[in-house]
Amino acid sequence: MSVFTDKFSATLTPPTRKSERWKYSPIAKLLNNEISISTEAAQGINGWPESILPNPVLNLDAYLVVFKNGIFEPTLSDLPVSDGVDCIPFSKMEQSRSIGFSNVYHKKEWIGELNETYRQDGLSLNVHRNVKVDRPIIIHHLTDGINIANFPKHFIRVEEGGELDIVVWSSASDHSSGMYNGLLEASLGPNATLSLEKVCNEGGKVFHFSHEHIVQERDSKLKMHTFTIKGDWVRNELEIISRGKATDSVFNGAYLPLGTEHVDNHTTMDHTSSDGTSSELYRGIMYGNSTGVFNGKVFVRPDAQKTNAFQQNTNIVADRGASINTKPELEIYADDVKCAHGCTVGQFDLDALFYLKSRGIDEKAAKALLVEAFLADVLSSVSCTELSDEIMRLYRERHGW
Amino acid sequence: MLKINNLSAKVGDNEILNGLNLEVKPGELHAIMGPNGSGKSTLAAVLAGRESYEVTSGSVNLDGVDLLDLEPSDRAREGVFLAFQYPVEIPGVSNMNFMKAAINGKRSHKGLEPIKAKEFLAKVKECSSLVELDGRLRDRSVNEGFSGGEKKRNEIFQMAMLEPKLAILDETDSGLDIDALQVVSKGVNAMRSSDRSFIVITHYQRLLEHIIPDFVHVLSNGKIVKSGGKELALELEEKGYDWLKEPSHDTSNA
Repeated sequence: MSVFTDKFSATLTPPTRKSERWKYSPIAKLLNNEISISTEAAQGINGWPESILPNPVLNLDAYLVVFKNGIFEPTLSDLPVSDGVDCIPFSKMEQSRSIGFSNVYHKKEWIGELNETYRQDGLSLNVHRNVKVDRPIIIHHLTDGINIANFPKHFIRVEEGGELDIVVWSSASDHSSGMYNGLLEASLGPNATLSLEKVCNEGGKVFHFSHEHIVQERDSKLKMHTFTIKGDWVRNELEIISRGKATDSVFNGAYLPLGTEHVDNHTTMDHTSSDGTSSELYRGIMYGNSTGVFNGKVFVRPDAQKTNAFQQNTNIVADRGASINTKPELEIYADDVKCAHGCTVGQFDLDALFYLKSRGIDEKAAKALLVEAFLADVLSSVSCTELSDEIMRLYRERHGW
Repeated sequence: MLKINNLSAKVGDNEILNGLNLEVKPGELHAIMGPNGSGKSTLAAVLAGRESYEVTSGSVNLDGVDLLDLEPSDRAREGVFLAFQYPVEIPGVSNMNFMKAAINGKRSHKGLEPIKAKEFLAKVKECSSLVELDGRLRDRSVNEGFSGGEKKRNEIFQMAMLEPKLAILDETDSGLDIDALQVVSKGVNAMRSSDRSFIVITHYQRLLEHIIPDFVHVLSNGKIVKSGGKELALELEEKGYDWLKEPSHDTSNA
C-alpha cells in the first residue's frame, strides 16, 4: 500500500523537472517506491536501534521529544514541564484544542498535500509571554525500516518576549529507506526570540523533505541553522516572513555531501515590513559525484523600507564528478533598502593548500584545516557550543579528518 | 647536504631550468642572484615541490633522500623550508593552529608525540620575539590582512618554529622597507648554524649586506653561469647582469 496511491487523491500533481523549483531535484525515483506508513505502536527503547542514541546531542542538557517512524515515543521523551510552556504532541492533546496552523503549503505543493493527507503527529509548543525556556528542546525523528514514510508536522508559538531554543534532528538507521516529509510552522510574537537548529544525519536511502514556515512579528529575533551532515536525498525548504517592524533573521547552513548524495536548500526571506534585517550564509563542499542546489529568494515589499538584507552562498566543488546549481533571486520593491548577495562556486585554494603542505602538513590534514576554516563562519554562529561541537565532530568522523 | 644535479624543469611548454647544478654543504649560505626570468623562483618552487612545475630531468638529494620523489609535506618533514616570495593569506586558519599542525606533522614523521601545549607556547614566544611579531599577529588568521613586511616576518617566524635543515628564502627582501629588512635579516642570522644551510634568492645585493653569503651564484636562462664569493654580489651591483647572460633560447617570460 503506497502512500502515493492509497487514499491519496491528490489535487496537485507531483513536481517535475519542468517546474523551476524542482528542476534540479527530480523526484521520479521516489515515486517508483512502495512507501507506506508504519502501523506499529510506540516501542520504547526495545524498538530503538543501538547505533543511534535517543538524545543525538549527548552532551547537551535538553528536553527530548522523540518520534520513531513518525510515532511519538513517550518513554524516550522528556517533555518540558516548566510553567509557561505548553508542550504536548498532538496525539496526546484533547480534541477540543485547536491548532493554529496558518500556512497553506499543502495547497501549493504536492509534497505539502501529501503531508496534510497522511499527517501522523507532531509537537504543539507554546511559550508564554516573557517566558524563557530553561533548556533547549530537541525534537528527534528516527526513520528505521524499509520503505517507511514519516509525516510529522510541528507547531511552535513564542509569545511576546518569550525565548526558545529548539533543535530538530533527523536520523535514519543504515538499512532504512523511504521518505521523511516533515513540516514545521513557527510564529514569533513581538520581541520574541527563537533559535531553531535543523540537523539531518540520516543513514540509508531516505528521501528527506522538510519545510519550515516562520512568521515574525515586530522586533522578534530568529536565528536558524540548517546542517546536512548525511542524507541520501535531502531538500530543505525554509520560508521566513517578516510581518512586523525591525525583525532580525539570521539563517545559515552547511552541507558536505559525498558519493551520489543530493542536497537542496531552498530559502525564502520575505520582508513585508520596515527596518528589518536578514543575514543568510550557506556554505557547501561537494564531494564525489554529489549534486547540490541552492536557491535563495529575498523579497523586499513596498512597505519594507530601511530593510538590510544580506545573502551569500559559497561552494567548493572538491571533485570532478560533483556539481551544484546555485541561484540568488532578489526582488526589491522598496527604494530605501540595502541588499547584498553573492553566490560563488570554486575549488580548494591550491595556493593555500601548497602553503600548508610546504610546512609539513599532509594533504589530508591541510584540506581539513581549509574545510574547518570554510565552515567556521557558519558553525561559530551557533550559540550552543555543545551542538556546534557535536556537528563538527560528526562532519570530522564522516569525512575522516 | 644538498646536491642538485643537472636539474631541468618546465611550466607548461616553457623550459625554465636547464641542467642546473648546485651543492650546498651543512652550515653554508648560498645566495642565488640573477635577472628577472632567470629561473630563481622556479628553483625555489621545484625544491619545495610545487605541483605546477614539471621536473624533466636531474636529481635533488638532501642527506641521501631523493626530494623529487616526495610530496611537499614530506619534503618539509625532511627539513626543507621555503620562505615564500608571496606568502598566502588563509582566512579562518589561525597562525597558531597552523604552526601546531606543522610541528606535529613533523613530529609524527619522526615518531614523536604531539608537542605539549606549554612547550609549544614557549617556542612561539621565543620565535616571535626573534622577528618582533607581536601577539596580535600571532593570533590572527594566517597572513590575513598582514602588511608586506608582516608577512615576511611571519615567514621567518615559521622558519624559526620549524627549525629546518635547509631553508630557501625566495626574494624575502622584496617589498621590505629598511627597518623590516633589518628585522628579517637579524632573524635569519640568528638561525644560522653549522648544521643548517640556506639558499637565499634575491634580485638585489642589498639583502646580502645584512645576510653575508658564503657563496654567490648567478642564474641565467635556468643554469648557474657564474659562482664566486660574497664579492661577486658587489660586482653584479656595479655591472648588472648583462655581461653574464647566456644567449637566450626560448625563455621569453620564464
